[in-house]
Amino acid sequence: MKRTLLLLAFMAPTLFTSLPEAAAQSQSWQQIPIPQLPAFKPQQPKRIQLSNGMVIFLQEDHELPMIDGTARIRGGSVNEPPSKTGLVDIYGEVWRTGGTKTQTGDQLDDFLEVRAAKVETGGSSDSTTISFSCLKGDLDDVFKAFTDVLRNPEFNADKIDIAQKEEDDGISRRNDQVGEIAHRESVRLAYGPDNPYASVPEYSTVAAITRQDLIDWHAKYVHPNNIILGINGDFNSAAMEAKLRAAFDSWPKGPAAPKNDFKYSPARAGYYLVEKDDVNQSTIHMVGLGTTRDNPDYYAIGVFNEAFGGGFSSRLFNDIRTKRGLAYSVGGGIGTNFGHPGILQVSIGTKSQSTVEAIQAANEDIDQLATKPITDDEIQRAKDAILNAFIFRLDSPDKILSERMTYEYYGYPPDWLDKYQAEVKKVTAADVKRVAGKYLHKDQLAVLVVGNTKEFDKPLSSLGSVKKIDIAIPAPPAEKGDTGGKPAADSNPEGKALAAKVAAAMGGLPKLQSIKTMHVNIAESDNGAPPNPVDVSIEFPDRMHVEVETPQGALTIVATPDGAFMSMAGMGTRSMPPAQTKEMLSQLHHDLVYVAQHANDSSFTFTAAGKEKIDNVDADILDIGGAIPWLRWYIDPKTGHILREKYKATGQSGPFDGETNFADWRTNDGLTMPYKHENKQDGKETSNAEFKKIDVNPTLDPKLFEKPAEAAAEKQ
Amino acid sequence: MPPTYAAYLAERDKTVGRDNAKLKELEKAWKDAIAEADKYVVGNAFGKIIEQNGGEDMNANTSYDETAYHFSLPQNRLELWAYLETERFLHPVLREFYKERNVVIEERRMRTDSNPIGRLIEQFVEAAFTAHPYHRPTVGWMADLNSFSATDAQKFFDKYYVPSNMVVAVAGDVKPAEALPILEKYFGRLPARPQPDEITTTEPPQNAERRVVLKDRAQPLYIEGYHRPDYHSKDDAVFDAITDLLSQGRTSRLYRSLVRDKKIASFSAGFSGMPGTKYPHLFAFYAFPLPGHSTKEVADAIHVEIDKLKKEDISDDELKMIKTRTKANLIRGLADNEGLATQLATYQTRYGDWRELFRSVDRIDQVSKADIRRIANEIFVDTNRTVGVIETSGSGAPGGAEPSSAGPSSGEQAFNGPADQGGAH
Repeated sequence: MKRTLLLLAFMAPTLFTSLPEAAAQSQSWQQIPIPQLPAFKPQQPKRIQLSNGMVIFLQEDHELPMIDGTARIRGGSVNEPPSKTGLVDIYGEVWRTGGTKTQTGDQLDDFLEVRAAKVETGGSSDSTTISFSCLKGDLDDVFKAFTDVLRNPEFNADKIDIAQKEEDDGISRRNDQVGEIAHRESVRLAYGPDNPYASVPEYSTVAAITRQDLIDWHAKYVHPNNIILGINGDFNSAAMEAKLRAAFDSWPKGPAAPKNDFKYSPARAGYYLVEKDDVNQSTIHMVGLGTTRDNPDYYAIGVFNEAFGGGFSSRLFNDIRTKRGLAYSVGGGIGTNFGHPGILQVSIGTKSQSTVEAIQAANEDIDQLATKPITDDEIQRAKDAILNAFIFRLDSPDKILSERMTYEYYGYPPDWLDKYQAEVKKVTAADVKRVAGKYLHKDQLAVLVVGNTKEFDKPLSSLGSVKKIDIAIPAPPAEKGDTGGKPAADSNPEGKALAAKVAAAMGGLPKLQSIKTMHVNIAESDNGAPPNPVDVSIEFPDRMHVEVETPQGALTIVATPDGAFMSMAGMGTRSMPPAQTKEMLSQLHHDLVYVAQHANDSSFTFTAAGKEKIDNVDADILDIGGAIPWLRWYIDPKTGHILREKYKATGQSGPFDGETNFADWRTNDGLTMPYKHENKQDGKETSNAEFKKIDVNPTLDPKLFEKPAEAAAEKQ
Repeated sequence: MPPTYAAYLAERDKTVGRDNAKLKELEKAWKDAIAEADKYVVGNAFGKIIEQNGGEDMNANTSYDETAYHFSLPQNRLELWAYLETERFLHPVLREFYKERNVVIEERRMRTDSNPIGRLIEQFVEAAFTAHPYHRPTVGWMADLNSFSATDAQKFFDKYYVPSNMVVAVAGDVKPAEALPILEKYFGRLPARPQPDEITTTEPPQNAERRVVLKDRAQPLYIEGYHRPDYHSKDDAVFDAITDLLSQGRTSRLYRSLVRDKKIASFSAGFSGMPGTKYPHLFAFYAFPLPGHSTKEVADAIHVEIDKLKKEDISDDELKMIKTRTKANLIRGLADNEGLATQLATYQTRYGDWRELFRSVDRIDQVSKADIRRIANEIFVDTNRTVGVIETSGSGAPGGAEPSSAGPSSGEQAFNGPADQGGAH
């Protein structure tokens, strides 16, 4: 989406204009011969239904040496739980980026791109899709990748993180473009705020989405009986059918996707206002509920829409744009969809100073439908336009295929489009008048205006009662202590097994749980500076004393449940605010030994979350949470050593994503630990720590954790 | 402008002694005159004829380098198209010009004034070009739009819409042997005129970085552009290769660095053609920072990738990928008639030979690793750079008003924080 927005801005404006225009010389164009269009028989795809219910369409097209395929799967964002809105967006992305059981998404990218091939997945309101595109010589390789993604997705946790961040980015930007605001809010007005077609993700609903949700979604919907697969391109149908049967015949049927039945509650008629003070043009959408395409009125509606708001010939265009010069973009009609009602809409973009004038003009045009009904002439022109342009719906084999897949998906007859032409021809002036009167009522429209109210020609309230819509974006959920802002996932058996493996590799659970205190000597260097000696004394579970020798003298930091303080030689002692104390203790609870001690603790959660390559090792990912803030380990499957950890923390300049790489594992005193730590914040290297000595269960002086006496005279 | 209207304006704008009764009278007079004139106008006749005949995608577009008029019709209406299209170049009537001008002003409000990205890009391009007309937006400045006259339009028409300056392309179910005589019959009617003069101004070399910071309600955006030669340059294909390497898909370097690994942007890419291609223009890089990340971070990450281009050869696999993809993209682009006609016309206009479309693959094939390093070192230098930034500010920005009150997870916070204030704004 974002790329398109930017490119649109880069593109020079498109002057949707008829200038320059030829002098209308007494309809001289009618003297130009228009020969009969040669007989045209659109090539229909071959339909196959497998015994497991999968429907396949094969459309041969030998013009270019390419093969493209798309599988459309029942179940879309309208079926996601409202508390997890955004699930299908994230599923649609991570299904592909998250890789499969045998190849990571990154490996797939490399494999496909070098062949200029694509395997892509996506999610929309009614369905999800997985598609491929390749040069025909690469079909075998690419089809293998396609079926692997279709059947064995891994939903790698790191890719879920990327997708969630992108989703959050979309939320943060959703009020930047007037068009996006107007579209979103007018859909809510037309369908009702609780209708699933109107739902939008929030930070909280995105944060609630877990890997398990994606796995569950896939298990619920991706079954052959929910799939329509269409393949188009340079292949032989018999050979392709054999290939597809070999791949999918043995795939067992699953439960059918649920049927959708939603409530539509259009907003009350009246005026709705979104104030935006950084624009000089008002975007006006006058909306109501439309209908579906299986409605017998559909054909008369098509003719009406063309005449009323369709194009250069339409009434709205000729009045509001051509005659009054009020808008660049203006149009409208009674909207229709295949599977759910469309939106009835008149939309106008006009300068702030003609906002009310433009609404009144549109109202007049609607009123005129009763006093000056659409004429036979207008109807003829509209029908000609629809029927003469009809061929563009069928002018390539892939368009025909995609139409057929749509009819199949929504249960329309396969010859629906053929019938369409005949039905349009039958439409009469009386039909058009009837549908206009039946669906379009000025006094039932919800009129949305997004604009700069202080520049309006007249207040919107001069037209009727106005309801302001607040589009402020709800803030992200508060950083929760117990999850570090990450959704708490439940433990899974693989996760518990990984935790046990790590504990075993560190010396075994009994040894770890026998550790009550530790003392560590570290040489730590920040950003390549000469190393400072650091002394860390820990009394599990919640006492820590750190002493750093700096060129300015010794710095001491102490954290206990009673509070935390910091003292610098000659500068006194300073208490840390409670938030910082908590932060320090939570860092202590990320200590490798502390976490490993709790490998069998049910108050901790251990969730395996796929695999990721770390320096050529296919590391197992383990998400840890529950009693402690979120922490992620990347574990070498061979050794059980932790190669990397990731966590969230707050430093002096705010929250950051922390990362530590571990190396140089050594055993001392029965405890195996990494002696090299490489720390990063937000992807940037910050410090290196070299462990010089690790003592297990030393006797620690209780005074280490007490505030020095002079603390009474605290300095700020 | 009708004299009545001029009189009305003169009266309206009097600072001393304005006669309101006279003003009303004059207003009524010019409105009546317009109403009377309107009776003789047949609006949108051209568009109506095309629509009635099944015309699809009828539109015109104007860019920095050229204008184009296009639509699709059913196959049996080729002659109708040739007739209609030539009629509007033979006998143009710029009727209802000033109303249409208002419509174009609305277009400017929509795409530029009321759109934060439009606002930034206009300022960015203006800053990057000082002498060359590329610094003017195609749609025009508001003041120019308000003074541009029908006479100006007619002059432009007479100068540029001449056969020697025009390329026509038709793609679809046509046989050249049948179609060409029809085209010759109708387009041959256009009177021969000399080609218009080329622009002579040359953009002087840029020797200092320029920076445009738009403080806006909108979320942050970063863009930077470097002057590069026009499409005739022998290195044009090298820029295409760099675009592909940096921007195409999930293997692209900018995606892998900024989106996948550093997780600081939701999208990033680099491309040529800003704002046009006919004259020396910009190669631009841009990124949308994720919440909590600053434009400085994405700029730094882009510069790391640029440095890599300068210092290290790209890999054999990457070079192979670029070349394969170029071929596949060419093939994919041939599938659709409208796209094909556009490409043929574009290549004929640019190179005087439509076959160059197919030779573009050969040109990419000749690009070497050394070419990419050479161009990166030559072009992507800071003194040749113009930077454009949207900096989020204003009460409408969540978390922007009071940095201290927002929670630590508020993404916008970091953008307002020290990381970005240190930048050379």
